[in-house]
Amino acid sequence: MKQQQNKPKTMPIDIRAPRSTLRAGRAVTLLILCFLLGMGYLSYVLITESPMYMAKSGKTTYGVVYDRTGDVLFDGTKPLTDYPSGQFADVGNFIGDTSGQMTNTLVAKNLTALANYSFTAGIHGTASLQTTLSHSANQAAYKALGSKNGTIIACNWKTGELLVCVSKPCVDIAKGYADIASMPNGSLLCKAFYPMVPGSTQKVSTLIAAYETLGVKTVNDIEYSCEGSWLNANGQRIKCHRSEGHGHQTLAEAFANSCNPFFAQLVQSEQLPLTSIIEVYQRMGYSVNKSAAENYSLDGISIAPASTVLTDDTDFDTQWGCLGQGETLVSPYQLMLWQTAVANGTGTAILPYAVEACTSAEGKMVQVGKTTRTPQLFSVSAAKAVQEVMIANAENHYYVSLPDYNCGVKSGTAQVTDNGREYENSLLVGFCLDETCPVAFCILIEERTSKDISTAQVAKALLNALSAAE
Amino acid sequence: MNKRPVSHPILMFLILIAHSAMLLLVILTLGFSAEAVKLTCAVLAADFVGSMILSLVHRQACTVDMVLLLVLGMSTIYQSCFGGVHFAAKHYIFGILAFIACQLSYLLVRNPIRAEKMKPFWYGAFFVLVGAIFFLTGERGIWIDLGFITIQPSEFVKPVFVLICASSISTQLRKKTFLGIHYVPDNLAMLGCTAVIVVLQWWCRDLGSLPTFLAVAGFGIVFRFFYLREKMSLRFVIFLCACACVVCVVALKFAPDYVQDRLHSDIWADMEGHGYQQCHALTAIAEGGWFGKGAGGGLLHRVFASDTDIVFSSICEEWGLFSGILTVVLVLFLPASVLTVPPRSYYHAGLAAGVASVFVVQMALNIFGSCNIIPFTGVTIPFISQGGSSMLSSGILAGFLKAAQAPVLTTKDGRKKAAERGKQSA
Repeated sequence: MKQQQNKPKTMPIDIRAPRSTLRAGRAVTLLILCFLLGMGYLSYVLITESPMYMAKSGKTTYGVVYDRTGDVLFDGTKPLTDYPSGQFADVGNFIGDTSGQMTNTLVAKNLTALANYSFTAGIHGTASLQTTLSHSANQAAYKALGSKNGTIIACNWKTGELLVCVSKPCVDIAKGYADIASMPNGSLLCKAFYPMVPGSTQKVSTLIAAYETLGVKTVNDIEYSCEGSWLNANGQRIKCHRSEGHGHQTLAEAFANSCNPFFAQLVQSEQLPLTSIIEVYQRMGYSVNKSAAENYSLDGISIAPASTVLTDDTDFDTQWGCLGQGETLVSPYQLMLWQTAVANGTGTAILPYAVEACTSAEGKMVQVGKTTRTPQLFSVSAAKAVQEVMIANAENHYYVSLPDYNCGVKSGTAQVTDNGREYENSLLVGFCLDETCPVAFCILIEERTSKDISTAQVAKALLNALSAAE
Repeated sequence: MNKRPVSHPILMFLILIAHSAMLLLVILTLGFSAEAVKLTCAVLAADFVGSMILSLVHRQACTVDMVLLLVLGMSTIYQSCFGGVHFAAKHYIFGILAFIACQLSYLLVRNPIRAEKMKPFWYGAFFVLVGAIFFLTGERGIWIDLGFITIQPSEFVKPVFVLICASSISTQLRKKTFLGIHYVPDNLAMLGCTAVIVVLQWWCRDLGSLPTFLAVAGFGIVFRFFYLREKMSLRFVIFLCACACVVCVVALKFAPDYVQDRLHSDIWADMEGHGYQQCHALTAIAEGGWFGKGAGGGLLHRVFASDTDIVFSSICEEWGLFSGILTVVLVLFLPASVLTVPPRSYYHAGLAAGVASVFVVQMALNIFGSCNIIPFTGVTIPFISQGGSSMLSSGILAGFLKAAQAPVLTTKDGRKKAAERGKQSA
């Protein structure tokens, strides 16, 4: 009791932190954690994107691009003039270089992977891209075009490996750009990735739409007559390339004959509503009447989407669009893509890829290329039916040009007006089913006349080169 | 609380080792020169004198003081080596002044009751600084040019605003009624000051600092809400977060054109224009890699604001990303000091949270902005970036943290009771 009386009368101060003030600690913890999370993200971004920073600022050298056999397609480590003349003349506008003159090329789109730099190791070593291209086949295809301009693109329809991609005229990157003003138009871009008038190769898409809508048997039983031209419901005339006409024909015959009146009647028929054609086209990746289109890319290279305008199935322009003229535009890449879906008979296309593997500046190899399928573009039955029609076409009409291959093809002639100048481009899309050469392809020869090399001859040269390369 | 606090000599020894290692690296890389000797002597002398003074004043080492000594020394070494060794005397002097400012501001606010009583003075200082910005900075600028020195008064608004946003429980209980509505005058005053700052920042075209002020104000508002509540309602926290998100979205939507440009522009497409600083900053970090190009080996010093707005990249270029992150973490130790010794008064809790928000938000704006994660703004990293106003302001703010760590608490009759215990535990 005495001790208690000696205690001070004032109440002791509770120096423990009040519960509410602990919230300051929690708030600060939260703040610091958020900041540290941000720092973690920043570190990740810096480490992964630093090769891009070095590439964009021009503070690094670049490595080498090889074809599937180890042949050099681009070399950033030494002057390209050190290589034999013409080494890069066939794929220059597809492979590209680091000059910045071409922006939609394999090198331009993969500068980061090709930079001789890594965040950990700094600037050292040689990065490289191993591509799926066959340089010898590319050179053969380029040579096959002779004096004509055009583009050839081919891929393995089983794996998606891009084998050939040439576009003529083509810049020789070894010679540089000193004479850029005098280069022919189109030298700096690969035409395989840009839309052009598909001509009668469009009939493949229209045929697929018919099979999808009406079924295989119904479509195969359809017969129309061609008298050289045909008046549609609006009184507009659709002409056939054969003025005397093809007479009474089945679908397979009309497809082989590339008969415009037949397909125009098919488009106008009540059996095949325009809405169905539009729906199938859109599923295949077209932008119809400015609808959203499927945007494809090839290892970063952007591909312009296919487009068309279809408004009235009794109107000339709509019918003409379904025949591959008028407003319809498709890139050779996309024409080839659809051929992979026909060739494999599944209706799902195999997305092509050109970069098989990347080797970093540190020497680490990363497998990049892999077989990827698109969603179902059209049904299995439609794919198989179109395959049969195209094989029959090849067997009946191309047995002289392509005797050694089990192929399916469709030719086309596109009427082009360029700055008031009218000319015709010749096209051939198709596939080869041979086990040794499973290839889907699209060939375009610009301003071709009857005296020039045919697309079938180019196809033969292409398949020969690819078979030899295998 | 620290039951076994670390003594002055041990911490001093650790700081000396860290600075000596850095200085040795500088000498090994750049060679033995007069500038290197100056730098070495200056940094080590500051460490020694600083810790001697602190050991005389406090029985136990205070986290804030020690981290401040460490960071200031490192900062002086960094700033002295950008592009080659040259003793950054100005930065060094302002570092010392910041350290002194820290001690002075600590003395000023270590007693929360007295600091709260001085609130009218803080409001007065706030409006003096705002007036200075409006009338003395020229054409809607943020700098006052005195010829021999330029002052950025908006930097000094930060500690004053932190003082205004902190509040004690007694202040919150002083409610008044107007037209049947109960209100706390201090809360209205704080909101009024926040509005003044928003207008001021817009007027100065210095929206870069606005997130810092808004973060301080946000903490002030949240703390005032919860002073008298034992539990935080999760629903209310979510509501507050939603409000913050709405404010961000609205702010971004109605941001001026130049801010919108920064939000949407591709710096790599405009490397010689708007993206000049950031592109060079990012490339410098890439060139530095994990361990840098070596002290003095960087080239980023040729770029404008390499020692202020993009100082993180300058450090990363010469010392590596690892050192850059380590430096940032060391600066974070300052606001994190409240986690080791929780504040023992509501007022100091508010102060600590306010200072933490200033430090963290400024670092985030500077680092993430210069690295193109968020729009680029011209704010500084506390104690690391060059700049006298920023350095002094940061020093004052660090003093607030020290006050939260080692407060002097008094009874109603004014007797000191808990200071010593507080110091011991710090």
